Amino acid sequence: MAGEPRVPSLTGQLLRVGVRDPEVVLPLLLAEPLAALFTGEALEDLDLAPDPDRAVAVLADIAAAAPAALAILAHDHGARHRALAIVGTSRGLADHLVRRPEDLGLLATGGAWERLASPDTMRAHILEAVGADPLLPGAHAARTGLDARNALRVRYRQVLLAIAAHDLAHGVPLDLVAQLLSDLADAVLQAAVAVARAELPGNATPCRFAVIAMGKCGGRELNYVSDVDVIFVGEPLDGDDTTAALRTATTLATNVMAICQDLTPEGTIWQVDAALRPEGKDGALVRTLASHVGYYERWAETWEFQALLKARPVAGDEDLGIAYLEAIAPMVWSASARRDFVTEVQAMRRRVEREIPADERERELKLGPGGLRDVEFAVQLLQLVHGPADPRLRERGTLAALAALAEHGYVGREDAAVMASSYRFERTLEHRIQLLDLRRTHLVPTDERQLRTIARSLQLRTIEHLERQLHHHTRDVRRIHEKLFYRPLLQAVARLDAGAGRLTTEQAVDRLRALGYRDPEGALRHVEALSTGVSRRAAIQRTLLPVLLGWFAETPMPDQGLLGFRRVSDALGTTPWYLRLLRDDSVVAERMARLLCHSRLATELLLTAPEAVAMLERADDLLPRGLASLLGEFRLAAERQPDAATAVGVLRSLRRRELFRIAAGDVLGLIDVVEVCRALSDVMEATLTAAAEAVIRDWEQRHGRALPTRFAIVAMGRFGGRELSYGSDADVMFVHDPIDADADCLGAAIEVASMLTNLLAQPGTEPPLLIDADLRPEGRSGSLVRSLRGYAQYYERWSLSWESQALLRARPFAVDAALCDAFVALIDGMRYPPQGLPEAEVREIRRIKARVEAERLPRGADPTLHMKLGRGGLADVEWLVQLLQLQHAAAVPALRELSTLDALDAARDASLLSDEQHETLVAAWRMATRVRNAQMLLTGKSQDQVSTDLVDLRLMADVLGVESGPALLEEYRRVTRRARLVFEERFYGQPDTSAL
Amino acid sequence: MDKQTEFVLRSIEERDIRFVRLWFTDVLGFLKSVAIAPAELEGAFEEGIGFDGSAIEGFARVHESDMLAWPDASTFQILPWRGEANSVARIFCDITMPDGSPSFADPRYVLKRALAKASDMGFSFYTHPEIEFFLFKEEPKPGVEPVPVDNFGYFDHSPHGIGYDFRRLAITMLEQMGISVEFSHHEGAPGQQEIDLRYADALTTADNIMTFRAVVKEVALGQGVYASFMPKPSIKYPGSGMHTHLSLFEGDRNAFYDPSGQYQLSPVGRQFVAGLLRHAPEITAVLNQYVNSYKRLAGGGEAPAYVCWGHNNRSAMVRVPMYKPGKGNSTRIEVRSLDTACNPYLAFAVLLNAGLKGIEEGYELPPGAEDDVWSLTDAERRALGMSALPTSLGDAIRVMERSDLVAETLGEHVFDFFLRNKRTEWEEYRRQVTPYELEKYLPVL
Repeated sequence: MAGEPRVPSLTGQLLRVGVRDPEVVLPLLLAEPLAALFTGEALEDLDLAPDPDRAVAVLADIAAAAPAALAILAHDHGARHRALAIVGTSRGLADHLVRRPEDLGLLATGGAWERLASPDTMRAHILEAVGADPLLPGAHAARTGLDARNALRVRYRQVLLAIAAHDLAHGVPLDLVAQLLSDLADAVLQAAVAVARAELPGNATPCRFAVIAMGKCGGRELNYVSDVDVIFVGEPLDGDDTTAALRTATTLATNVMAICQDLTPEGTIWQVDAALRPEGKDGALVRTLASHVGYYERWAETWEFQALLKARPVAGDEDLGIAYLEAIAPMVWSASARRDFVTEVQAMRRRVEREIPADERERELKLGPGGLRDVEFAVQLLQLVHGPADPRLRERGTLAALAALAEHGYVGREDAAVMASSYRFERTLEHRIQLLDLRRTHLVPTDERQLRTIARSLQLRTIEHLERQLHHHTRDVRRIHEKLFYRPLLQAVARLDAGAGRLTTEQAVDRLRALGYRDPEGALRHVEALSTGVSRRAAIQRTLLPVLLGWFAETPMPDQGLLGFRRVSDALGTTPWYLRLLRDDSVVAERMARLLCHSRLATELLLTAPEAVAMLERADDLLPRGLASLLGEFRLAAERQPDAATAVGVLRSLRRRELFRIAAGDVLGLIDVVEVCRALSDVMEATLTAAAEAVIRDWEQRHGRALPTRFAIVAMGRFGGRELSYGSDADVMFVHDPIDADADCLGAAIEVASMLTNLLAQPGTEPPLLIDADLRPEGRSGSLVRSLRGYAQYYERWSLSWESQALLRARPFAVDAALCDAFVALIDGMRYPPQGLPEAEVREIRRIKARVEAERLPRGADPTLHMKLGRGGLADVEWLVQLLQLQHAAAVPALRELSTLDALDAARDASLLSDEQHETLVAAWRMATRVRNAQMLLTGKSQDQVSTDLVDLRLMADVLGVESGPALLEEYRRVTRRARLVFEERFYGQPDTSAL
Repeated sequence: MDKQTEFVLRSIEERDIRFVRLWFTDVLGFLKSVAIAPAELEGAFEEGIGFDGSAIEGFARVHESDMLAWPDASTFQILPWRGEANSVARIFCDITMPDGSPSFADPRYVLKRALAKASDMGFSFYTHPEIEFFLFKEEPKPGVEPVPVDNFGYFDHSPHGIGYDFRRLAITMLEQMGISVEFSHHEGAPGQQEIDLRYADALTTADNIMTFRAVVKEVALGQGVYASFMPKPSIKYPGSGMHTHLSLFEGDRNAFYDPSGQYQLSPVGRQFVAGLLRHAPEITAVLNQYVNSYKRLAGGGEAPAYVCWGHNNRSAMVRVPMYKPGKGNSTRIEVRSLDTACNPYLAFAVLLNAGLKGIEEGYELPPGAEDDVWSLTDAERRALGMSALPTSLGDAIRVMERSDLVAETLGEHVFDFFLRNKRTEWEEYRRQVTPYELEKYLPVL
C-alpha cells in the first residue's frame, strides 16, 4: 500500500501539532471527508485547536451527520481556523454544532459571525427569533410558549458562537468580549419581555415594567456562563390600581425568568437571579419605583448600595428604567458617608473568603485570595470613598472604574495598569474554563487535559506556563490594597512627582478615615514624617508603609499601630538591618504590625531591644524556650560578669527579651494561655535563680569565704503554681539553714536576700522585677529570712489555716537543692493534713473568704468585672480548689498539685467535682487569666478590673477572638457567673442568694 | 437623611411643636423622658443625645456613665393631651455607648436581640396584649384604702360611668397616636377597665404599651381620677393582668397554624408552648416583677398559678384559643400569667426565647388541662404533672438566678442588675409588718 510508509511520519506530525493520542486520531483523519481537509501541510492547522484530539473527533461526528456542512472548511481558511479554535476548546459549543451542523456556515469569512458581534445586529437576530420587531420598542412577540423558548435558545447559541469566534480565533480583548456577552444578555432579556408580554392573559391589568440589570451584566462585564442579576420595577398606567398592575408585572417578571432559565429540548440560557432586590428572597419580586426608593431610604444595608453601583436598565419600559436609575443613583453616593461603611464592606469580603472550602481556595478564581473579587471590591470601595465628591469616578464596569481612578490620580497609573492586566488575565482564564463545558464555574480545573486545553487556548505552551502566570497574577492582586489604597497616600504627602495627578490632602484624609483611621489628620502627619526625605531610611519606609498601613487598618485601632511604628522607627531606624528585615520579610512586618496595634507592652519592650525584631522572623523563635534552656543561658551570662550588680543588669535585659518573646507569641496566637503562664513563671524562675547565685558569688568574693549558710528561695502563690501573669510580682519566701554555727548566718542570709531584692527592683531601662515576701510567717513584721528550724517551730506553734492554704502552692526552687527538699518535707504535713481538715477550720476558711469578699474589693469596683476578687473570678476558683486540697489531699495524693488547673483536673478525676463543675471552673479561670493577660499586653499596666473603655475592649476582643467589645464583657460575665454558682455550692456548701 | 427623618423634621415645623420628648425605658420598665428643643432634634438624629446613664435605674455604673440616645424616627408622635397649640411630640430612642455600639442595658435592645434571633430562625414575632387597670377616685394616700370610681362589673354597659368616658377619651388619644385599639370593656371588678391593643410586631407593641401607660395616666389626671397598673391593689377583687396573645410568622404564613393539627396548632406552635411551660418558673420574675404581683397569682380566678396549658381553658397559664374557621393567620396562643406592671420589652424577650428554645430543642408538649385548674386538689395536680409557678418574688428570684436562658436573653448586665434590684426589694418586703399581721396576731398574742 502506498500509504504505509507515511504512517510513522504522520504520527510524528500529529504529535508535533499537539495531538495526544495519534492512534485514535489517525484513523479518523485518514477517512473521508476529513482526509481531504487535512492533507499535507493542512495538517499543521490542527495546531490551531487547543485540544486537537477533540477537534478531530467533533469534526468526524459532524461529518457523519452532515458531510456537506464541512465543505466550507475546505476552501475558507478563516472559517477553518475559527471552527478548529471553537470545537477544540468548547465541548458545549461543539455539541451545538454537532446538533446543527449548518451553523458552521455562520463562521464563513465575511459571514454572519462578524455582524453578530455588533449590538444592533445581535439584538435584531435575537428579537426576530421570537417574532418581535427590533425597531419597535415594547413590541410583543409573535411567538410564545415552547416554540419561542426553543427559538430563543438556538439563536442565543448562534450569537455565542460568533462571540467565541472573535474571542478564540481573533484575540478580541477581554473588555470587548465581556461587553458583547452583556449585549447578548440585554437582547435576550428584551426578547423575554416581548414573549412574556405576548403570553399575558387578555384581561390582565396593563402595567409599565422594566428590567434593571445588576452585577456583572449591569456593569457590562458579563461572563460566558453566569447568573444574570436583575431587579424588576413595575408601575400602573395613569390612574390604574397599583395592586392589580403589580400583579401583572409580577407575572411578567416570573415569566421573563422562566423564559431565560427553563430547560427545554434546546437546553437553557442562564439563570436569572433576582435576589439583589429589596429584602432579598423574602421581598416582593416586583416593586413600584416609590417602593424601591422607600426601601433604599430606610432599610437598605451597606452592601446593597455597593450592588447598586452596577444598576443599568436593560429591558422593558425605557422611561421607567431611566426614572429608576435617576432616583437610585444619588443614594448610592450618599451611602458611603455612613459610618463604618468601608469596615462593613471589608468584613463582608472576609466572610465570603472564609466560606470557601479550604481545598478550593487556591483554585477559586472568583472568590479566592488574589482573585477577581479582590479587584472588584477594591475598585468599588475606592469609588464609594471618592465618588461622592468626584462624579468622574462613577463608572459601572470594574476596568472602566479602575481606569478613571488612575486617570484622576486616585491610584498610581502603574499600579492600576498592573491590576488591570491581572484582572484581564484572570477573567480570560475564567472565560476559557467556562467555555469548556459551558458551565458556570470559577474553579481552575485539576484535570490535566482540560488544563492543557486552556493553556493552549491562551497561547501558553504548557500547563506549567499557565500555572506560573496565574500565580504571578494572584500574587499581584493580593497586594492590591497596598497598591491602590495606601501607596497613593504616600504620594499625597511625599511630593515626589509633582507632575502626575495625585491625591490631595483632603482626599487622603477621606480615604484614611474610610479605611478605619480614627484620627486621619494625625495619621497623615505620621506618614509624612516617616516617608519624607532622601535618607535610606525614608526610602525603605516608603516601600514599607503602604503594606503596614493596610495591616494596621485590619485592626480596630489602626492609629495605635501607626504611632507605635513611628516610635519604634524613631528609636531603631538608624539600626540598618532592622528596616531591611522588615522590608525583605513580609512575615516579620505583618507580625510586627499586629504587635504594635494590640500591645503597648510589646511596643515598649521593643523600643530599646532592636534585636527582638529578628525574633519575629521564625514562628519557632516565638515559642517559649523552656526552663532548662533559659537557666543555661542566664547562668552563663551572669557568671561572665565581674559583680552582682552587673550580672543582675544583664539578667534583666535577658528577661526583657524573653518577655517580648512571650508577649509576641501570645498576641500572635501562637501559644495558649497555660503556656503563657508557664513561660512567664519559667522566666521568673531562671532570672531569680541566676541572680541569687550571682549575689551569693558576690558575697563570697567580698567576704573572702563561703556563705556560712545554705540558702533557698520558695516560690509562692501563682509563681509557685507556675501560673504567673504578665504584671505579677514574684511572691517568695526565703529560707536558710546554717552550716557554720558560729557565724552570723541569719545576717548573711538577710544580706543576700536584700541585695537580690534591691538589685532586681532598681529603676533602669529594663523593666524592674519586684519581689514580694509578705506571705512569710508574721508577714512584714517577721524576719525577711528564717531558718528551716525557725519555720518548723513557727508552723508547729502558730500555724493558721490560711498559712496552710498559702503553702499549698509553695515550691522551693533555688539555690541549695538539699535545703529545697528539706523544706518540702517540712511543709507537706502542714498543707496536706493527714486527717483532712477539721470542721472548725473549714468554717474558718469560709469565713475568711466571706470577709475578703466583703472587704477587699476596691470601692466602686464592679464585682462582675473584677478578675481577681470578683464574682466567679480567680480567687473564687483558687479558694475552692485549695479547700478541696486541704480536705482531701492526704487521702488522694493526686490532688497534691501546685497549679490550679492541674488540681482541678485531679479533683475531677477523684470525683470531688462533677465533669460539668470542672468544666465551668476551668472556663472561668482561663477566661479571667486570658482577659487579664490581654489587658496587660494592651495597656502595659496591671489592672484587676476588666477595662470598660470601648476601644480597649474592641482590641482585646480582637486578640481573644470574640466578635466585639460588648460581646467580650457579656461572655466574661456569663462564664464567671456560672463559676460563681458552682463556687457557692461547693465552697460555702449552699447557693447564696445574698447580693454580691 | 431618610424620608422618615425628613417627615419628622417637617412635621415639627408645620405643627408648631415646642418640645420633643425623647422616650426610653429603664430596666424596671419605667418610662424616662428627656425634653429637647426642636432645633436640637436634627443633631440628635445624626449624633445622638448624650446623657448620664448612671442616673437611670440599671443603665450604668458611674465610671462608664456616658451614653447616647438615638431617636427612632419611625416612632414620632405628637402627644394629643398637650393640645393643638404649642404641642409636644414624643419619639422613642435606642441607647448606645459613646462609640455607637448598642448598650446592653437598653431594654429595647434586649428585645431587638431576641427578635433578631427569631429572625435568624425565619420567624417574626407578633403580640397582642389585653391590658387591665384600675380607676380610683383619688390619688393614693398612705393608710387610705383606694376607692374605685364605680361599682360596675364585667362587660357592664355604663353610659354614665366615669369609666365609659374615660375609655372613650383614652382610646381616642391612643388612636391619635397611631395605636389601634381592638377592644375595650369594663372588667370584673369595680373600677377595673380593660383595653386591648391590636396585634403588632413585638417591638411596636412594647413601645405601644409604654405609650399606653402614659396616655392612661394622663387621661385619668385630666378627669380628676387616678389610674393604676398595680397588679393587685385590693384583696377583694381580682388583680390586673396583661394576658398576651403570641404568634410567630414565617413570611406571610402563621407558623402556629396547621389545619390538620390538634386545635389547628402546628408542631412549631406545640413546641413553642412546650418551651413556655418548661421555662415558665425561671421567667416568672420577669413577667411578674413585684412583690405585689404574686398576690394576684395567688388570688385564683383568671390568674394562673400552675404551669399548664389548655384549649380555651381560662384557668391554665397558656390558653390555646378556639380556632375561628378560615382565620388560619390569626392562630395564636395566650399567656395569662404576666401582669400590667412588667417591663414589656424584657417580658416579650423572655417569652419569645423560651418558646424558641422549645422549637430548637423539639420539646414535647405535655397533655393539656381540661378542668378548672383551681378546683383540682394538690394531689390531683401532682398526678397530672402540673408544677406550681413560684409563689413569691423570693422564690421567683431563686429560680431565675440559675437560668442560663434568662441570663442569655437579658444579657449579663441586665440580668445582674435585675436580680440585685429584686433581691433588695424582697429583703425590704420581708421586714414589713403588715396590717394583716397586726389585725390577726395583736389581739391574741
